[in-house]
Amino acid sequence: MNPKLILSVVLLGALIGAGALLYPTNQTQVAAPVNATGHAQLISNDRPAGGDFTLTGVAGEHSLSDFKGKLVLIYFGYTFCPDICPTNLGNLSVAYRGLSQAQKDNLQILFVSVDPERDTPQRLQQYAGYFEANVLGLTGTPDTLAQIAQRYGVVYAKVDDVNNGSNYAVDHSAFTYVVDAQGKLLTQLPHATSPDDFIAAIQLYQPKP
Amino acid sequence: MKTIKTIQKTITLLSFSLLSVLSSANALASQADDIEITEPFAREVPPGAPASASFMTLENISDAPIKIISAQSAVSKVVELHTHTNDNGVMRMRQIPFIEVPANGMAFLKPGGLHIMLIEPINPIKQGQTVSVTLTFEDGSQKQVDMPVKSFMSKMGQMNGHSKVAE
Repeated sequence: MNPKLILSVVLLGALIGAGALLYPTNQTQVAAPVNATGHAQLISNDRPAGGDFTLTGVAGEHSLSDFKGKLVLIYFGYTFCPDICPTNLGNLSVAYRGLSQAQKDNLQILFVSVDPERDTPQRLQQYAGYFEANVLGLTGTPDTLAQIAQRYGVVYAKVDDVNNGSNYAVDHSAFTYVVDAQGKLLTQLPHATSPDDFIAAIQLYQPKP
Repeated sequence: MKTIKTIQKTITLLSFSLLSVLSSANALASQADDIEITEPFAREVPPGAPASASFMTLENISDAPIKIISAQSAVSKVVELHTHTNDNGVMRMRQIPFIEVPANGMAFLKPGGLHIMLIEPINPIKQGQTVSVTLTFEDGSQKQVDMPVKSFMSKMGQMNGHSKVAE
């Protein structure tokens, strides 16, 4: 075995190990009621099931199942997010540029807004387009979003706090969800995952030719 | 003769008081003078995004903690001091009343943590520009920080996965 290959195997092993640590098997967070102070509360529950959903983009409705055969990365955020979302999507954008054409063809990145009050599909796609990573911006009704969030273990809550400043913020979990070519939720990557780690994850989970 | 003496006396007195004012100003340097800033930058934001975050490292070279109590800039309508906390993966952003730089210590304004928000930019904040932000300290002294605008999509502006939250 050449040293490069050995190193790749070791790195992959480390990534799987880190993923296993980061992804609790039977205790995780689900969307939950908001208490009087406007803080999202975390409730322990079973591992999120994931599954298919249908949301609205600028060109109409899209279902997760439309992307069968591709690896799908899903990030839940909002366009008024000044720091967390751009950091994560910026890293994804740098990662995307480091992929081969075949890897790009077998990948779909979805940006799902949890702020349907302000994020229209048009606004969302303008925002997503900035990152030049073929990101599809999607949103839906509050009920639909809440239901999807619950199934994916996403937590979000509009902040009703005088200390929140001029534009209301939305507290939100900042994981990138990894869905395989069959539509199955595989794992979640932490906030501010580096471009190199995104590339490693894409190579690990993408269907092999 | 008497008049000249009086004038001389007055001049001497005035010089003394002027000297003492100057020396006390020296002894009590303003807080702005005791803060050194490195690596300031603002973030280019996607079209339509209503706020940009700006970041820097502050070093306090004095023996007392120093607080930034506000910031101002001509580039946006509102400038606020903010922080993030990472609560089991849930990012919570809040406006805060001040940012403290510890005595002989550092404060790090960086993605995922403390930052200065430029809200409702008057013109789009674009990579390649330099934006000025003025920091106001507790004693009223001010410091202007000129910061380049970076895109997080470039390798240069990109953050690695090891940035800690809420330092």
